[in-house]
Amino acid sequence: MGLRGSKPTFDDSSNVVYFIQIPLRGLRVPNLSPFPLKLETYLRMAKIPHESIMISTLSSKGKTPWIRHRGKDVADSQFCIEYLNKQFGVNLNEHLTKEQQAVSRAILKMVEENLYWVLVCYRWFFMNPKDMGLSQNIPSLIFAFIRRRVRKYANGQGMGRHSQEEIFHIGKLDLQALSNYLGEKKFLFGDQPSETDCSVFGMLAQFVFSNIESPHCALIKKEFPNLERYCHTMRNTFWPDWDQVLKGDASSTKL
Amino acid sequence: MHCNCGNTKLLIAAAGAVAASAFILLKFCRKKKLTFNDDSNVVYLVQLPRGKRVPSISPFPLKLETYLRVAKIPYENVFSSQFSTKGKTPWIHHRGTDLGDSQFCIEYLNKQFNVDINAHLTKEQRGVARAFLKMVEENLYWVLACARWVFGSPSRAGFPSSMNSLVLYFIQRKVKQYAYAQGMARHSAKEVFHIGKLDYQALSDFLGDKKFLFGDKPCETDCGVFGMLAQVVFNQPDSPHYEVIKKEFPNLERFCWSMREAYWPDWDQVLEKA
Repeated sequence: MGLRGSKPTFDDSSNVVYFIQIPLRGLRVPNLSPFPLKLETYLRMAKIPHESIMISTLSSKGKTPWIRHRGKDVADSQFCIEYLNKQFGVNLNEHLTKEQQAVSRAILKMVEENLYWVLVCYRWFFMNPKDMGLSQNIPSLIFAFIRRRVRKYANGQGMGRHSQEEIFHIGKLDLQALSNYLGEKKFLFGDQPSETDCSVFGMLAQFVFSNIESPHCALIKKEFPNLERYCHTMRNTFWPDWDQVLKGDASSTKL
Repeated sequence: MHCNCGNTKLLIAAAGAVAASAFILLKFCRKKKLTFNDDSNVVYLVQLPRGKRVPSISPFPLKLETYLRVAKIPYENVFSSQFSTKGKTPWIHHRGTDLGDSQFCIEYLNKQFNVDINAHLTKEQRGVARAFLKMVEENLYWVLACARWVFGSPSRAGFPSSMNSLVLYFIQRKVKQYAYAQGMARHSAKEVFHIGKLDYQALSDFLGDKKFLFGDKPCETDCGVFGMLAQVVFNQPDSPHYEVIKKEFPNLERFCWSMREAYWPDWDQVLEKA
């Protein structure tokens, strides 16, 4: 987004993980971007002590979120997870078989590299801007400016070249795949959650809890209700303070 | 008075270079009107000219053509640099309808020809098949695009002769822009290679000893995975990607050969002669 924010000060002698996320606290989700929500869910699942800092300073790769730990900045949610797994001796995928770990990777990538763009295109090209789910509406000029940039990125990636119906259809196939694989299970791979659950939750929460006006939410409710059930399970398990988190920062959403 | 002869010569040379470049580009991009027989049931597959080591240097035409062969749908190749309405390749023409995007083409053809090469998969397997297809087409694709076009100078080895260095230059410019937009090009070459390796590992672990991803019969995703891996296994023998596949994921190479032997017995005959 090309935002410039101030660089915060960190205590590099402590073992605390500073988790820096863009200040997009939604009215209904802790962050409107799925990747901070994924990473924070992982930190909670892995029980890694962390301090959340909401500022508009983007990572060295120009993205959100990023972390700082013992003087080291790490960008990209997945690289952050790999780093933290090593630093804290964590492996949330330990209970998975080799084949399940493979499926886990495939689902992670489908959600983050395909379904993500369905969400992005919906929010920036088709949705009424008033439905963004922020405590303040984004001013029209800024919205138009951001949309231009998103259009360029979405066209480069490819999703932006499809029609609205086609993009919805692509999203439906991904949601169907997730629903088919999840079935009746509590989490993706059974009773114990794993890394990919963090990402799938981060993404689905955007549709299920935030963009409740979207055709995707309606579709999930009607045809893939196990995905909604799954989101509630993840939320109840790892975000028992969900409502407090939203209330606590809902008034300080800044761009 | 200062003589401007040197500047004039330079200007003329520059104009000549621009004109020559435009001519070469136009020659490649010339939109010759394609004609089709709309009375027949044949599917016209419009794609870039043949490569010297793979039938297509792009994974998506190779995926789609492999699907047509697996599904036994009669088709005819039209080799052209004309892109789809979405600005991409491949695309198809069938009974007066033009359709772009390989996956939309497959969905259309499944309906038109009453075909389902995923029929033998369970509901859960279909979910997994979709996930692997997207991993390969939306993640591994960009790893390979960056490896080839973003980091270092792309080699023309194996490419169709009609794709000269100038065309490659323009492709490289576009791909760099797209890869940055998608996100992959924000990583370092080492990070991108690591991302690719994790995808290879997932494919290899899932394939195991099976002939195809889900057993003895291929499905749609096998076509997508083959289209992508063939770029590395058959077209980039000197790349570190091929090296890591050979060394650590040999079942992926074995898979490529299984697909090639089963559905491309004419592989050597279709290639552009080196």
